[in-house]
Amino acid sequence: MDSNTVRIILLIIHYLFFIYAFSVVVSYILLAIISAIESFHYMKKNSFVNYNEILSSNISPSISIIAPAYNESLNIVENVRSLLSNHYVNYDVIVVNDGSKDDSLEKLIEAYDLVKIDYLINPQIKTQPLRNGIFKSTNPAFEKLIVIDKENGGKADALNFGLNISNNQYVVCIDVDCLLLEDSLQKMIKPFLEVTDSKVIASGGVIRIANSCTIKEGKLLDVNLPKKFIEISQILEYLRSFLLGRMAWSRLNGLLVISGAFGMFEKKSAIAVGGYDTSTVGEDMEIIVRMRRHMEEQKVNYKVAYIPDPLCWTEAPDNYKILISQRNRWTRGTIEVLKKHRKIGFNPKYNLLGMLSYPYWFFYERLAPIIEVVGIIYFIILITLKNVRWDYAFAFFILAYLFSVFFTIVAILSEELTYHQYKKKKTGFKLIVATFLEPFILHPAILYAAIKGNIDYYFNKKLKWGEMKRKGLSN
Amino acid sequence: MIDFQHLLTYLEQLPLLVKVVWILIGFLIIFIILLIFYLKYLRGYLRKKETISKKLFTEYEANLINFLYSQTEEEINEEQQIIVDKMKTCITNKFKRKIFISVMSKLKNDISGEMADSINNLYIKTNLINHSITKLKSNKWYVITAGIKELNLFEITNVFEQVKKHENHPKQEVRNEVQLYFVSLFHFKGLDFLNTLKSPISEWNQIQLLEILQKFDDQEISDITPWLKSSNESVVLFSLKLAKIYNQFQIIDTLLELLNHQSKIIRLKTIEVLNYFQVNEAKKILKNNFKNSSEDEQIAFFQMLENTVEITDEEFIVHNTKHVNFQVRVLALKILKRLNNKKLLDLKNKATNDEDKLIFNYLENN
Repeated sequence: MDSNTVRIILLIIHYLFFIYAFSVVVSYILLAIISAIESFHYMKKNSFVNYNEILSSNISPSISIIAPAYNESLNIVENVRSLLSNHYVNYDVIVVNDGSKDDSLEKLIEAYDLVKIDYLINPQIKTQPLRNGIFKSTNPAFEKLIVIDKENGGKADALNFGLNISNNQYVVCIDVDCLLLEDSLQKMIKPFLEVTDSKVIASGGVIRIANSCTIKEGKLLDVNLPKKFIEISQILEYLRSFLLGRMAWSRLNGLLVISGAFGMFEKKSAIAVGGYDTSTVGEDMEIIVRMRRHMEEQKVNYKVAYIPDPLCWTEAPDNYKILISQRNRWTRGTIEVLKKHRKIGFNPKYNLLGMLSYPYWFFYERLAPIIEVVGIIYFIILITLKNVRWDYAFAFFILAYLFSVFFTIVAILSEELTYHQYKKKKTGFKLIVATFLEPFILHPAILYAAIKGNIDYYFNKKLKWGEMKRKGLSN
Repeated sequence: MIDFQHLLTYLEQLPLLVKVVWILIGFLIIFIILLIFYLKYLRGYLRKKETISKKLFTEYEANLINFLYSQTEEEINEEQQIIVDKMKTCITNKFKRKIFISVMSKLKNDISGEMADSINNLYIKTNLINHSITKLKSNKWYVITAGIKELNLFEITNVFEQVKKHENHPKQEVRNEVQLYFVSLFHFKGLDFLNTLKSPISEWNQIQLLEILQKFDDQEISDITPWLKSSNESVVLFSLKLAKIYNQFQIIDTLLELLNHQSKIIRLKTIEVLNYFQVNEAKKILKNNFKNSSEDEQIAFFQMLENTVEITDEEFIVHNTKHVNFQVRVLALKILKRLNNKKLLDLKNKATNDEDKLIFNYLENN
């Protein structure tokens, strides 16, 4: 190859990277604009809603909260108490103890006066069998509680068991350590009940980070900003993701994921597609993609709704080891889901799902870390070849950094204009400082986790869920 | 010192793309600085607004309580007039008006009787009513909705015609509020909008309307038969709920006709109502339709049979103990246990699959 050919190849590579980066930036700007429109619409629309009638109504639809638990002995009693304190009338709580090796079941039995009951299970979805059985409380105060003790089968299997057990019309699938606000169920059920021109198959809620918040007896008393930068950085990341990204996708009816920590489904639709997939670690994304795919194939006019209100609070990793393990799992989940449903991608038969949602996830979620690493390697090669115009590279680097800062500040602004959760003085300053540091504090760890997730997916197939040590939310 | 001349010469010789990059950097720096300052201002403003809101809320609440407790036999006394005048001045400011209305709403929800009437009176005396009526003429749907909501809350019935104009508004939120206004203020008479309603009533609004209706002392409902025959499916579904809540036994013939309605959901809900009324005549129709019914309807029918079963139903029940649907099978066996336990034991002995054995064991113990 003569030097001219090499130069042309290098130029093509440069332009490919440039086009990719440019399209990312444009897509983010578009999502931010759409999100602003949707936020305005949502806030206006819901400022008139009176939730009290739905709350107290006996004809309001029935809901089951399904909370899988594995070795959650430390906080399980209090977490269940929080789930039982919801203000909605017509609901029950199904705790699925998924073969825990600790004393979770014993603690629940003691705290809630549980006794074993005879329960006929409709085995609509195949799951691992029962271990010690199904329990209900003898205390009328806890009549809404059902505890299942089954053989270990993973989170998806536990959720499927809950789907089999539930006698209600809707199910909320949550992580047992999540703290739900008292008005969360009526807000989540609203999209299902207010549509008249289509069918809502699922609604997803926002996940907020509860680290350092004041929580007592399962109730969120005060919202505080955590001290560690890794935690604050995740708050910024969640704000970007939930207030800008998902809000916009909700407007487009292109949501491809509902957080496994808090999502509501029409039970019949979830069962019709066979429930959660137990063979993936991205079961929360997979079920939504499968349900959407099913609806597209059935040619049903449907919607996946999204509720931006801060209703569900959870503990985020406070150290790099756990954070990397969590993000590794998310990456593997994304790869598995996109691979499993590759038929959808770029397929006009699946409308927006096939032509926009899937390609977006494929290019900007699935490929993003790989392209970034390839870019870094390519840059290193150019340095080695002494083929870098440092002043140009510096300009592009500064631009990318400033855009990331700009986008995060827009997310903070969106939070302030809508929910204004971090009210205390000086938290604004801390958030801004974290905004400038986040690309150096959080992003490298996330990139590393994503690459490790890719490697583990292809070369370490046995790896399933990572470890997530809980400290507990109560203080 | 920065050598600007040198910098400009450098920028001028850059390729176009890099020039654009530097221009964007410049813009982003300006935007970021502006946004940070705006954010600082906004956070301060929101904090201040919250403090002022709380203060004004407490102040207005105290004034309102004073107004309510100084009520005499006169329509409005001197002390009250002072409060009215004070409030009139306050509400010229949009922010203060919003707080004042929220205080009134809160109190309105907490009290009833004469005191509630006094608040309604205050709403008129302070001219807030005119603000609400003006909102009805707005082009913005959320302004109209807010206006109707206020008129509803303070029980202003004489603007019925102005509100009615919006009953078929293209925005669902406006229509919802109109329907709530009708029912809250005109009770069962307010349901007349069902006669002409073109758009669907959401399930959410149906629940709200029913909850409001149940709060009234007067529970005399008009004839719902025309609504059960409506071409608007949501009106039929809403009427079915009314039929159940208000025990409308006299419309059973219409309900039986609805068993052949083209909408699956209407047929299903009709079975549920007929089950509630325990109408035996429905069984014959449902048995005839059974094969072509959806699974949900079949389950609903068996739930009905749980309450209305007779010995003549045995053959039909036994036939369905092998139904493909688990719930239908369980219900059939459960009913059979009550009807003919010996037959159930026979079937138990012949059972081969594990799922059926589980059902038989469960039925034996429960």
